[in-house]
Amino acid sequence: MEPVNLFDLATRQSQWLAVRQSTIASNIANANTPGYTANDVEPFEKVLDRTAVTLQATQTGHLGAETTNAGFNVKPEEAGGVIMPSKNTVVLEDELMKAGEVSRSFQLNTAIVKAFHSMMTMVVKS
Amino acid sequence: MDALTAALKVAASGLGAQSERLRVVSENLANAQSTGSAPGADPYRRKTITFQSELDRATGGSLVEVSSIARDPSVFPIEFQPGNEAADEKGYVKMPNVNVLVEMADMSEANRSYEANLQVIKQARDLISMTIDLMRNQQ
Repeated sequence: MEPVNLFDLATRQSQWLAVRQSTIASNIANANTPGYTANDVEPFEKVLDRTAVTLQATQTGHLGAETTNAGFNVKPEEAGGVIMPSKNTVVLEDELMKAGEVSRSFQLNTAIVKAFHSMMTMVVKS
Repeated sequence: MDALTAALKVAASGLGAQSERLRVVSENLANAQSTGSAPGADPYRRKTITFQSELDRATGGSLVEVSSIARDPSVFPIEFQPGNEAADEKGYVKMPNVNVLVEMADMSEANRSYEANLQVIKQARDLISMTIDLMRNQQ
């Protein structure tokens, strides 16, 4: 019962968006921390391109056990604007713009899943 | 832990740090005129606050916490107030090294950061309820 891998894709994207939201939260919380570098998650296209072969983690202490960030790479963002004398690279406005982007994509994602789900229920019921 | 819950936790740590900063600002403003009590005694010394980020191992997010509340070592301005009980033999009083304008600017910045953190909390909650809504309204 997988006509399109839409549910799988939607799940991946919502996980990615959640990780991005938590990265933005870290950046905003540390907006006044000296020496902090802003982070961002790798673009979603890259996640789709990557056919990652990961090690099987059989114990919690194993390296490569992706317990944090759901397996998405979080990297320091290259500083676009002016760096503060405190060596902090967070720009609050940019972070809020990114947060808006996340919100919009998440809304779109859940709306599509909802529509698809109601289509399937329609098929089952008729 | 779920990444959205992690976002909530990180933003909450930001709120805590910024409110601590606001507390330090209010202490400085309240004591902007607190001179010493003995002749020639030191007045109130301005407090400063610094933050540091701390990696939360359970979630992978960077929490923020107060790293230290220190004292500003700058010199005290001196005013001529012979009637003050902290005046030395020539009538000069050491005033606290609090600059009200600097404190006001600091307060606005704390306010701005607090608002940004609050916005993140609101949005993370919205995202969570959007996901929950998937299970709702479908007969």
